[in-house]
Amino acid sequence: MNLKDKTRVGLLVLLVIAILAIGLVGSGCVRGLAPIGWSGGTVSSGTLYVGSNEGRLVAINLADESQKPKTSDQLIPITQPGLFGCSPTGGGGCGAGTQRVAIYGTPVVAGDLVYIAGYNGKIYAYNISNLAVRWVYPREGNLQPFVSGLVEADGKLFIGCSDSRVYALDSTTGDKLWEFATGEKIWGTPAIDGDTLYIGSFDKKLYALNVADGKKKWEFVTEGAIISTPLVNSGTIYIGSFDRNLYAVNAIDGKLKWKFMGGNWFWAEPAVFNDIIYAGSLDGSVYVLKADSGEKIKSFDLKSAVSSQPVIVDSSVIFATRQGVIYSIATGSQDIKQIADIKTDVDGPLTAYEGIVYIHTQQLELQRINAASGTLYSPVSLKG
Amino acid sequence: MNIWELIIQQPVINILIVMSHYLADNFGLAIIALTVIVNLILLPLTMSQIRSSKKMQDLQPRLVDLQKKYAKDKQKLAQEQMKLYKESGVKPAGCALTMIIQMPVWIALYQAIMLALAVAPEGLLNLSKYLYPWQVVYSVLPLNPDFLVMNLAQPNLILALLVGVTMWLQQKMSMTSQTDPKQAQQANMMLWMMPILFAYMALNFTSGLSLYWVTSSVFRIILQYRVTGWGGLRKQAPTPASDSDKKYLKFQAAQEKKSKEDTGTDIVINDNDSSKKGTRIIKTDKYKFQPDKDRERHRKK
Repeated sequence: MNLKDKTRVGLLVLLVIAILAIGLVGSGCVRGLAPIGWSGGTVSSGTLYVGSNEGRLVAINLADESQKPKTSDQLIPITQPGLFGCSPTGGGGCGAGTQRVAIYGTPVVAGDLVYIAGYNGKIYAYNISNLAVRWVYPREGNLQPFVSGLVEADGKLFIGCSDSRVYALDSTTGDKLWEFATGEKIWGTPAIDGDTLYIGSFDKKLYALNVADGKKKWEFVTEGAIISTPLVNSGTIYIGSFDRNLYAVNAIDGKLKWKFMGGNWFWAEPAVFNDIIYAGSLDGSVYVLKADSGEKIKSFDLKSAVSSQPVIVDSSVIFATRQGVIYSIATGSQDIKQIADIKTDVDGPLTAYEGIVYIHTQQLELQRINAASGTLYSPVSLKG
Repeated sequence: MNIWELIIQQPVINILIVMSHYLADNFGLAIIALTVIVNLILLPLTMSQIRSSKKMQDLQPRLVDLQKKYAKDKQKLAQEQMKLYKESGVKPAGCALTMIIQMPVWIALYQAIMLALAVAPEGLLNLSKYLYPWQVVYSVLPLNPDFLVMNLAQPNLILALLVGVTMWLQQKMSMTSQTDPKQAQQANMMLWMMPILFAYMALNFTSGLSLYWVTSSVFRIILQYRVTGWGGLRKQAPTPASDSDKKYLKFQAAQEKKSKEDTGTDIVINDNDSSKKGTRIIKTDKYKFQPDKDRERHRKK
């Protein structure tokens, strides 16, 4: 083979490699193709629990910052790595979460246990003292991924699963008490009010189930899939749907009270204060609505989508945009002000404790902001 | 939103979603329909490339002549080859160009499939920013990933194999017969390398993308068939004779003609020869030397 032939063969090989490389890089490194997680935080007895993007439960002592955060063992993924060490469904490129179990739901604390659900289709109960696993559901095998968060009430845990079912477990033992099948997968976290559990499904329906046995009380049909968490307030359920509406539904009989259309999905659970609803939309606006009629009082254009659940600190509602700009809305005057810009993506729910807002970012950090002054404190690392 | 997202990704996503809605909420059919549309848009380019390949095939004898003529002057050879290509309207880089033009569509389609099928929650969340403000777009999301017995959001072995097979068929049909063994070897390498590469990629990506590749290859197989018939899939016919071959054929014909005139000439067998051990002696008239008939008999053998 002479030099020219070698060059030609080399060029052919280069062409093939270029096609492969462009295909992989172009398709793999797209934001949002790999599950990463956006767990919020829960504070109990001065300790904040959060599911990190490394697939661990992390416990941070808020009272004593000198203590190093405690972490659980890493959750075990169910899929083997595919091409170049990445999950096949996560693209061939560089998804950060491809070999880690994403955690979307906020941890729940009850008694001496803390619970999380993983994208690997398992629910874990940890001892609060040492973050050792007490029980796992299912004990063998895995269910479909959990995106929904857990809710605890009267010794029972409730969660929706991507396999379209709602599960009720004994919170002490992890035994299944009942399950209820919907028509499509469930990503939304349930809400409980009294003896009724409310949960939305991709099948476009909001369900009201009996907490005791999982029997359906009623269902309410929207025109789009539902993945947001219902907000229950004074006998009314407020929930966003993929048809761009925020619905107010009577909690007793599931009848529509009113609906309000935004420019995009109401992804996150809204906040309510003094019978006023504060609903962030992916259209980049926060809508301020009267809880009883849905009448718009005001709207704020935040210039970036709002996907994280807001928190109420004192008499202010704190919102974060996906681009990491933090706003505070005064509930009295309905004025808005930007209090901080953490310059990182924010998708998960905000957590507030003693005037500090905690934001779990995709950089494996917990950002801390003083809600009143907007002062940014040094972030807490969530690395295990 | 950057330019890529604005002019490629966003339209592809919305078209796919709308088509899915009007095709009985079937995302697989939407992908097939989009593939056909993309290929129809690229039709002039594809046809030009197929015709160019055919012309290239027709030029092979002349290229071989040029190679022989300018064997010692590579620069002149390159010039003459380019001149020949230009005169004949052949674009040697046409195939690669078509492939390169399609690559953004593959990537956009892959991204659209991954986002629209809500494979990961982050994908569905990101999808929201690409949606046009049409009610139909919002009401059908997230799309149903089931198509036949496949989950379009997952890799599928059968579809990956189909990617390889249809791509091989399409390439084989469009292959020009190479008289230069080195070029033939390279063409053969590409014939196998590309289908294997794409089948491997199909095994690692969503089968929705594989469906695009298979549909695209089938589309091109149909086009190729209309222009060149089965092309390289046919049993290779003898290549048209080059000038040097023609000279040889003339020489052979002359020899055959001359041989015919010798029909009936007896084979003289010397006794000396027949006495040799193991030699068979032919004595009957029917074994007379008949050059034309003997040659035919030999050919049949």
